[in-house]
Amino acid sequence: MKIPMSWLKTIVPVEKETRAFMDDMSRTGTVAETLTVTGTDITNVIVGKINKIEKHPNADKLLIVQADVGGGVMQIVTGADNLKAGDFVPVATDGAVLAGGKKIKRGKLRGEMSEGMLCSIDELGFTRHDFPEAPEDGIYVFLEPQTLGADARPILQMIDEIIEFDITSNRSDCNSIYGIAREAAAAYGKKLILPSIAVKAAAEKKAEDEITVTIKTPQTCPRYIARTVKNIKLGPSPQWMRRRLSSCGIRPINNIVDITNYVMLEYGQPLHAFDIDHVAGKHIEVRMARGGEKFVTLDGTIRVLDETMTVIADRDKALAIAGIMGGENSMVTEDARAILFESANFDATNIRLTSKKLGLRTEASGRYEKGLDPELSVTAVNRAMELVELLGCGEVTPFTADAYPTPRIAKRAAYRPSRVNALLGTNISAGDMENYLENIGIETRKKNSDEYEAVIPTFRPDIECEADIIEEVARFFGYDNIPATLSMKGAEQGGGKNRKQAALEHVHNVMRSLGYNEALTCAFESPKAFDRLLMPPDSPLRNAIKIINPIGDDFSLMRTTTLDAMLNSIAVNCSRRNEYARLFETAPVFLADALPLTDLPCEKLTLTFAAYDKKQMDFFDMKGDVEQLLEMLEIDGHRFESCSALPHMHPGRTAADPALGYFGELHPRAAANYQINARVYVAALDLENILARIISKKGCAEYKPLSKFPPAERDIALQVKREVTAMQVDDAIRQKGGQWLADVILFDVYEGRQIQEGFKSMAYSLSFRSAERTLTDDEINKKMSEILAHLAKTTGAVLRDK
Amino acid sequence: MHDDDLMALSKKFDAMLEVSDDPAALENLRLFLLGKKGELTALLKTLSAMEPDERRAFGQKANEFKNYAENKLDEARRQNDAKQIENALGLEKIDVTRPGRRRPVGRKHPLTQVLGEMKDLFVGMGFTIEEGPEIEKDYYNFEALNIPANHPVKDIQDTFYIDGQFVLRTHTSPVQVRVMEKRKPPIRIIAPGAVYRADDWDATHSPMFHQLEGMLIDKNITFGDLKGMLIFFAKKLLGEDVGVRFRPSFFPFTEPSAEMDVACYSCGGGGRGCRVCKESGWVELLGCGMIHPNVLSMSGIDPAEYTGWAFGMGPGRITTARFNIPDTRLLFENDMQFLNQFNRP
Repeated sequence: MKIPMSWLKTIVPVEKETRAFMDDMSRTGTVAETLTVTGTDITNVIVGKINKIEKHPNADKLLIVQADVGGGVMQIVTGADNLKAGDFVPVATDGAVLAGGKKIKRGKLRGEMSEGMLCSIDELGFTRHDFPEAPEDGIYVFLEPQTLGADARPILQMIDEIIEFDITSNRSDCNSIYGIAREAAAAYGKKLILPSIAVKAAAEKKAEDEITVTIKTPQTCPRYIARTVKNIKLGPSPQWMRRRLSSCGIRPINNIVDITNYVMLEYGQPLHAFDIDHVAGKHIEVRMARGGEKFVTLDGTIRVLDETMTVIADRDKALAIAGIMGGENSMVTEDARAILFESANFDATNIRLTSKKLGLRTEASGRYEKGLDPELSVTAVNRAMELVELLGCGEVTPFTADAYPTPRIAKRAAYRPSRVNALLGTNISAGDMENYLENIGIETRKKNSDEYEAVIPTFRPDIECEADIIEEVARFFGYDNIPATLSMKGAEQGGGKNRKQAALEHVHNVMRSLGYNEALTCAFESPKAFDRLLMPPDSPLRNAIKIINPIGDDFSLMRTTTLDAMLNSIAVNCSRRNEYARLFETAPVFLADALPLTDLPCEKLTLTFAAYDKKQMDFFDMKGDVEQLLEMLEIDGHRFESCSALPHMHPGRTAADPALGYFGELHPRAAANYQINARVYVAALDLENILARIISKKGCAEYKPLSKFPPAERDIALQVKREVTAMQVDDAIRQKGGQWLADVILFDVYEGRQIQEGFKSMAYSLSFRSAERTLTDDEINKKMSEILAHLAKTTGAVLRDK
Repeated sequence: MHDDDLMALSKKFDAMLEVSDDPAALENLRLFLLGKKGELTALLKTLSAMEPDERRAFGQKANEFKNYAENKLDEARRQNDAKQIENALGLEKIDVTRPGRRRPVGRKHPLTQVLGEMKDLFVGMGFTIEEGPEIEKDYYNFEALNIPANHPVKDIQDTFYIDGQFVLRTHTSPVQVRVMEKRKPPIRIIAPGAVYRADDWDATHSPMFHQLEGMLIDKNITFGDLKGMLIFFAKKLLGEDVGVRFRPSFFPFTEPSAEMDVACYSCGGGGRGCRVCKESGWVELLGCGMIHPNVLSMSGIDPAEYTGWAFGMGPGRITTARFNIPDTRLLFENDMQFLNQFNRP
């Protein structure tokens, strides 16, 4: 809501400097967002009177004008031909700045000195909507004589301060100058008295001026008032009205339209004017539109309506879409003889939904959809009639139609001063509370020593209960005056992170220590993601939850995998030529039991990490990270085995554990789909499973005694068939290793010369250790032969000759 | 006679020591003098054949010479060792200004840093951390928070709908309702998490962003308590001398409602004003208020017995402000060049 200070100050005295006033308003709840000072960008434009006009000796289309500017006479060359001696005009002097930053300098024009410039209305930043008396193409001439040499800006009412207020959705009453004025007065401890309205309605009472009004849908139209004006004299409205409209962002049109808009700015009530000659049957009916009913709005657009939309109709046809826009068929034109003024109240939700469906928002709909007071309708229409008489643009008839089936009754709310103070932590007197409330139009009645009744004005439907009254009191007592208390109430339970939160933080710490940066991605998924990830058409991951109103197709699903977002992030790094990237993310995927959803879906936390390094990285770097992570998280018993079933993963370089997830190299075709030109390694682990295992461990790690005895090491080189895996050999060794086997390390794998075709050599280092004593050679040798026998039996491994 | 031999030997030793400049030469010299067949050893062997007086006098001199020679040899050996190490060190000299070999170290995402700091502050004040689903029932996101069907707020918040019954939560407030339903006061919780609103991506908006909400419910909780705790929080987060103001606002789930502003972090506030604060000197930090009695009763808490306050804020906005990040989208790109910048929370 834009409020010109020049206007507001005519209603409520504001003594403070404007910035301070804005602060005071914000602190009482009417947020003053921005301040715009108008007119100050234009400088050095003064009033001049034309003494003499002569032809330019060297140019047919130019004139030389002598203008008296008080302190002297200026010679100005101009091209305009609308001037005569004696005209008062705006003169831009040397150094003046005009609209759009245009600078004026004295200089010669075709050999003749021009000491400045005569200004058109455009050059002063206006249009002919603001000053209809200005010529279409020529110099603006003041309507009345002015003081010579005076600053032209105040005469044209150019200088003003305009505050933009941000009105919360519950305060539609503040979308008006009087609404703001009421708050401004209350902010300074005063009550605003609204001016009284006097309508003469002097026209003789005649049946022909009357109109019948029927509301067929009182649920969408609680009130409809019609008044009529005849003998219309259409013309421009006065300058003061045009200026105020323009300052508030509304274009002046003509006196009738301007009056409807002006009253809307004053009171917040939209009005509409119909040409009575186009109201068939002299009858107004508020009804629902018929399905498919076509209607041409004022802007010339054909609108197709449906049964949920309210229209204003006459006997035969729709005249307006209620509360949103009138129709071309009843628009007020130059030959209008008589006019019907509508001041109605419409249901906020109905207007909002209709406006949304039609994609049509207007000043009126914007106000109606926030909810208006039906009591306001009568004030507004009377004010409009008063202005019609004041401006002399027609004869107001004594006729009024007011359909108001269920008048709104002022609500009552009880409040207890003790409770007000208890909730705020204050000590405000009951009398002060009454004052604060009275200032904003709430009447109070004392019921007993600690109970009051507040009568809520109809324009404040947001006030319903004691809590609302408490807020009103707090607003004017001042939030900043409420003493701040640092209380420990409610802290008995003690704060902290729960075990799952602590475990998740631990996972983050380990991932960072492994050199992965934490990534943040969006939970939306593109339907194209599944193709990028080479998912087959029947992949369950494609059963993603759909958003009805996504911001775009690429953001239309809730993700079932975090991989797509992770790979997009990797791709960003690749495309920006980053030599390496290491990223991890812990985030939920959204898995539905059934679609459409019947219950909340499973939001399953996933740990995803991915890396590439153009210098050096392979599968075992990634595997090392996974192993170290699991070691740090004390997760054991995992078995990551070769897995070629994942379509987006390299079939020969992927390992999976049935409970924990998988890791490996991304399939080169998938990498190509993301335009990643590096080998990318990814891991996708079930974080819920990991966290559950961490949490299930009772207490903390327990100290194990350190062995004082050195380990005995035995290195062996085994020859095994090529297809035997390290896991098979490892398993066999450990199965027979016994309590002393401390470590099994594969330190070399070799294929080629010296090894039989189809076989490979695997070199292991085994270490044995006891906490109690030094193991003897015999003991270890015995263990080794058991291990070797078992290896031979289970894997066919034989000891290679030295 | 013997004395002359000793003298000559001493001179010879000194001369030989002079030219022995490696460990082998020194060892040879030791053997020449003190070895089993060494010159001095040979001289000492003659002692037994001497007269007692002569033996004593000569023995003393010979032993003095032996000590002298041994010390000299030790010292020469030490000097020689030192010189050798020094030579070796000279050869091993490297260019220490060449770059070191690094291992990557991961960083916390800047948003996590800010969120983490906020969580720690509240945990320190006795709050627990609660979580809830991101796909939420319409009831918890709206109705239970005093936002009826068809209320304009449902539009203003530009909700993403899954269908009539399920939405992407537009705020973390549903978590508060879920906690109130299952727990009796006193309640002292915060609820951080991702929320969604149908905004297009631009420099200051993203359709997914983060919120941190909190509430405190107990007997006799006042608006003054709300102020006290949130001022304390703001000072800890932004600095002890940060300017703070509370002004009335509107949220369906709190009454009275307030907006807490802090002095503009860009221009420092104090009436100077800049673009960030729209010339006002203040920027919004969080929304807050006393929990609406309807919300309490809907969740099974008697508003006559208990009162409470709640707040909600956007750590994303505070993150971009703190690190001077010009565009919210940078937070979601995960460029290493970006993430590697934020080492200092």
